[in-house]
Amino acid sequence: MSAVWSAALDLFPLLWSGMITGCLYALGALGLVMIFKCSRVVNFSHGNVAGFTAFLIYGFSSGTLLELNWGSAVVLAIVAAVAIAALSYALISSLVFESDLTATIATLGIGLVIQGATLLIFGADIVSLDLPVPRFSASILGLRITGYDLTVLAVATATIGGLFLLIDYTKLGIAFRAASENAFAAEVCGLNLRFVHLFAWVIAAVLGVVGAILIVPTTFLSATTVASFMLQAFAAAVVGGFASLPGSAVGGILIGILMNLFTFYVSPEFSSTFLLGVILLALNVFPNGILARARGTRV
Amino acid sequence: MTSMQPTPLEGQGIALSFGGIKVLNDIDVAFQPGEITGLIGPNGAGKTSLFNCLTGAYRPQRGVITYGGRSLDGLPTSARAARGIVRSFQTVALCPDLTVLENVMIGLARNGSAGWLSAFLPLPGRAWEREHMRAEAKAALAGLGLGDMADMLPGMLPPGTLRLVEIARAVLGKPSVLLLDEPAAGLNVAETRDLMRVLRQLSTPELVMVVVEHDMDLVMSICDRLYVLNFGSFVAHGTPDEVRRNPEVVRIYLGSEDD
Amino acid sequence: MSEISQNAVSGGIPAWQGRAVARALAVAITAALVAMPFAAGGSWTYLLGVCFANSIGVLSVSVLVRYGGEVSIGHVFFVAAGAYAVAILEHRLGVSILVSAPVAVILGVALGIAFAWPSRSISGIYLAVSTMALALALPELINNASSWTGGYEGLYVSLDLIPGAPKGLQRYYLPLVALLAVAYALGCLRQSRQGIALLLARSHPVAAEAFGITRGWARLSVMGISCGIAALSGAMLAYASSTVSPSGLTLWASIFLLVGSVVSLYGLTFLHAIVGGAFVTLIPQFLASAGAWIPVLYGVALLGVILAGNLGPKLRDAVGRRRSRP
Repeated sequence: MSAVWSAALDLFPLLWSGMITGCLYALGALGLVMIFKCSRVVNFSHGNVAGFTAFLIYGFSSGTLLELNWGSAVVLAIVAAVAIAALSYALISSLVFESDLTATIATLGIGLVIQGATLLIFGADIVSLDLPVPRFSASILGLRITGYDLTVLAVATATIGGLFLLIDYTKLGIAFRAASENAFAAEVCGLNLRFVHLFAWVIAAVLGVVGAILIVPTTFLSATTVASFMLQAFAAAVVGGFASLPGSAVGGILIGILMNLFTFYVSPEFSSTFLLGVILLALNVFPNGILARARGTRV
Repeated sequence: MTSMQPTPLEGQGIALSFGGIKVLNDIDVAFQPGEITGLIGPNGAGKTSLFNCLTGAYRPQRGVITYGGRSLDGLPTSARAARGIVRSFQTVALCPDLTVLENVMIGLARNGSAGWLSAFLPLPGRAWEREHMRAEAKAALAGLGLGDMADMLPGMLPPGTLRLVEIARAVLGKPSVLLLDEPAAGLNVAETRDLMRVLRQLSTPELVMVVVEHDMDLVMSICDRLYVLNFGSFVAHGTPDEVRRNPEVVRIYLGSEDD
Repeated sequence: MSEISQNAVSGGIPAWQGRAVARALAVAITAALVAMPFAAGGSWTYLLGVCFANSIGVLSVSVLVRYGGEVSIGHVFFVAAGAYAVAILEHRLGVSILVSAPVAVILGVALGIAFAWPSRSISGIYLAVSTMALALALPELINNASSWTGGYEGLYVSLDLIPGAPKGLQRYYLPLVALLAVAYALGCLRQSRQGIALLLARSHPVAAEAFGITRGWARLSVMGISCGIAALSGAMLAYASSTVSPSGLTLWASIFLLVGSVVSLYGLTFLHAIVGGAFVTLIPQFLASAGAWIPVLYGVALLGVILAGNLGPKLRDAVGRRRSRP
């Protein structure tokens, strides 16, 4: 009996922290899937852009570039992210309509340039970027809940909730859904696809910034931190079916929990290999995403 | 395939629906060998969907499709191709990076036996097989009057010619069932006449040929039988003359006074 | 009509002349490369040997794009497989490159097919994402199998192909011969029944099915070929540089191979491969002191080539239309 209890005592914190990091992966996955749904392009520069904006926040608030308070730095960084997204899309917009393969390869190019920019401006430094959250922690049922956890939950829920409201109830959101369902038909109805794509890219960039801000405090910020986080976001998107927004959210949480369980019970040294396995398994068992399996495959 | 007794391609009770939309309602067909059968009907009647069921692209919810007395149930398109069932598509499906001759050679792709090693090395066995395939493809093109287009790329040729190239590709593997989906779409009058001549040429006692078409001149002039489809059900079936006089068919095509 | 259209395709130069020029150029460059070690110094010989190995890697990515219509940023995995196969076979069994290179190729083919199996019938996008995971998993696998792979330090590859002959020359000529062989084999592939089938499967998968060419067969064949070539590239890399170490086997290496492939216009000839391989090998050499500029330069080059390829024909059409107006 006590063995079960102590196993449970181990398990709950893992599930909890897995769910918290899972929210972050969900944010990353949502950005990827939004772009993929409406333009069939996989945005491989997502992680690099998010990392760059995290560095910008650091730069704007620490005196390296500017000396603003954290809030203004974040706002400025979001503006920069939007600008980068708009510029990226402007560069590849003509490609998107011709070949999604070429457009996907082009996003790798954008990622390379952003990565180079990060290195050039900020060097190979490793810095820390903290969240100004209340230093609070409580213990419930042996579970340690910190201010950080609650912040992540609150921000993630608000962001994801806001996103779904945007997509379900605004004109732009409806346009997005129409373009994702059938781009040709949407165009025939007079929808400007470029506008929808731009909308998706900008939203994805903002989601990336939010995700990066929440991720970085848990480790440190270097030129590769956020990009290496991207693998989890990709895995979450695959598990969710890469064309399903709710699936990405569910996938993110699932990946967060599974990763935690794996690193605790098996080994922290094989996390990328584990994710590779998860991706290959998901492709084999439910290629349309985990929610589609429950609902029935789409035609 | 050519050694089989000529048999019809038959379907019984085929019903197909997507979600709540019924596309085909309990269709019974028997396409006879040695005849050119036309499948006509207004847009959205279900003609291409019927083709898709016959070739395995769609799985009907109900119904049995047999060819040569054997059921085709559960067979994917590639397996049906192995049984000799070949189709063309509404849009030209020729590879733009291959020459016309190479595109036609695809028709023999299934029959090649040269293995992977000979794909990378200039082994003698493979050279012989390739020359044989090239000669057959060239002959097929020449038979359709396309002999000197052999080394051109599809991008350089008009759609009428490309249609004929597709047909050359389709017949190269000596199919026993040839399903043509709107072969005259986008062709001018002269090209359509060429097409009609070619289709008549192709008809043999063993071949089941079914043509979906909107061009009434073509249909009336080359088809031996017609099936008229409307909203997923057959409304008429018979020789072109019989169908032409069927009042139901007249109503569908000419509509009421206001149309 | 045929003459006009042929001219349109080759830009005014008769097609047969264009091909003859390309062939002459290839022969000239091959001759120059064969003679090079006797003219230039040892460091150039070493660098070009590595360049040839990378050129083979570039070809492997180009093959995947040309015949499969897919992108992979995980080919470093198969390169590593080939490289470690050579090194481990040498260390454990004392086997020379003559035996271990073909083994590496077979290993690459098998791994490629095994990897592509789960996604063999679905959209290539998933292949691309799983290749990213593959590249990121590689360092973990290398470092955790350190008793076999030598971990962080890597392994030496010191066995000569021809004992007694000058080491530098062997490390140069074998990769060159391998590159020429791969280019030749790919030329054969283009003419073969399988090559034609793969090209149709890429452009019109549904029509290809109607001719018995299944998506699964096409995907597995292309991955098998591409990963086999990548493994050969790794084997040659190990031989040319006499070492195998994980520091050069990262996700970046995969992405750089893709950059080389784009810059060489996904070409599958010897000349294209040299261009791609040189781009990927020589630039880090010349920019060694300004390392942060390398990703910027690669990114700009990749975007530049893609956008030029996209806008070029449109510009040409627009200019042509303007000229043809009375």
